[in-house]
Amino acid sequence: MTRALFIDAKWEGEIKVSGKLQEYLEKRKPKSIALFSSVQFLDVEDFVLELENAGIRVLRTKAKRAFSPGQILGCDCYADCFSDGIIDECDLILYVGDGMFHPKALLLSQSRSSRIKPVVIFNPVSGGVEEIDKDNIEKQVLRIKRNLRLFMNANSIGIVVSVKPGQQYLKSANELKEKLKSEGKRVFIFLSDSIDSCELENFPFVEAWVNSACPRIGTDDVVNSDKVVVNLREAFSPLEVLEELG
Amino acid sequence: MTYNLELDKIVEEIKEKEVKQVLIQLPDGLKPRAGEIVEVIEKNTDASVFIWLGSCFGACDLPLGLDILKIDLTVGFGHNRFLKEEW
Repeated sequence: MTRALFIDAKWEGEIKVSGKLQEYLEKRKPKSIALFSSVQFLDVEDFVLELENAGIRVLRTKAKRAFSPGQILGCDCYADCFSDGIIDECDLILYVGDGMFHPKALLLSQSRSSRIKPVVIFNPVSGGVEEIDKDNIEKQVLRIKRNLRLFMNANSIGIVVSVKPGQQYLKSANELKEKLKSEGKRVFIFLSDSIDSCELENFPFVEAWVNSACPRIGTDDVVNSDKVVVNLREAFSPLEVLEELG
Repeated sequence: MTYNLELDKIVEEIKEKEVKQVLIQLPDGLKPRAGEIVEVIEKNTDASVFIWLGSCFGACDLPLGLDILKIDLTVGFGHNRFLKEEW
């Protein structure tokens, strides 16, 4: 059997409160910060000390699927991924890293909240600071709501299960299949490696699809497709999710 | 300034476990460095090294079917272990 060895590929530069970040913090004056990083930027002990010396309380947690404290993964995109409520408690959410995939998870995790706190992205490589807010997930939330409504009215459902071991949730897919069948729907389970929306076109008898692999397929990829795709978790209680999304 | 690819650790692992065939999997930002990584590993070990062409979304996205090609080790860069839970 093929073994796996993971290399974090840690950023070797300094992570410091300086330049644009310092200016931003002086302007915003947060009393507390919920701090998250991608795995490359997890060495933030000195950075945390700098923030604390500036009188800022630093809140950290271990997200549900992440291995390391303070780390955020793209799939930690639900409110219950952060069990100790630091998102609610903090004045500011700060993400240290590059790219938009991880910080968007922090916005999506608040999508059912009445007040979505912005996420500040600090990129130690470029020194750049960027704030993203609810406008950055507006398209996704609208599409999630549209897809849930169409899913609820569909009579023929395809559930896609990935064969990637890390994204394979056949047990939950079977549970959903039984639930939907008990509601009188036709249900089919499809197996696939990656989920390509073009492949869905080949099965016109399926009115709505359920993605059981990476949840970001059902929140991000759906924006670029007209196909009705909802995530497995939402498919168990679509009406409740719609009410929470408002 | 760059990212620490821990090539010494990989070479040591390959030697210690007598790995013969290795696959390296990189996120898009590190893919341009794949050639250099292969050359360092092949220069310092007896292993043959292959590069995964496809996606590298996370530790949840390890390539499949490698047993058929007798790949002993996949080195996944830019990710660490994660905790899988049913939805």
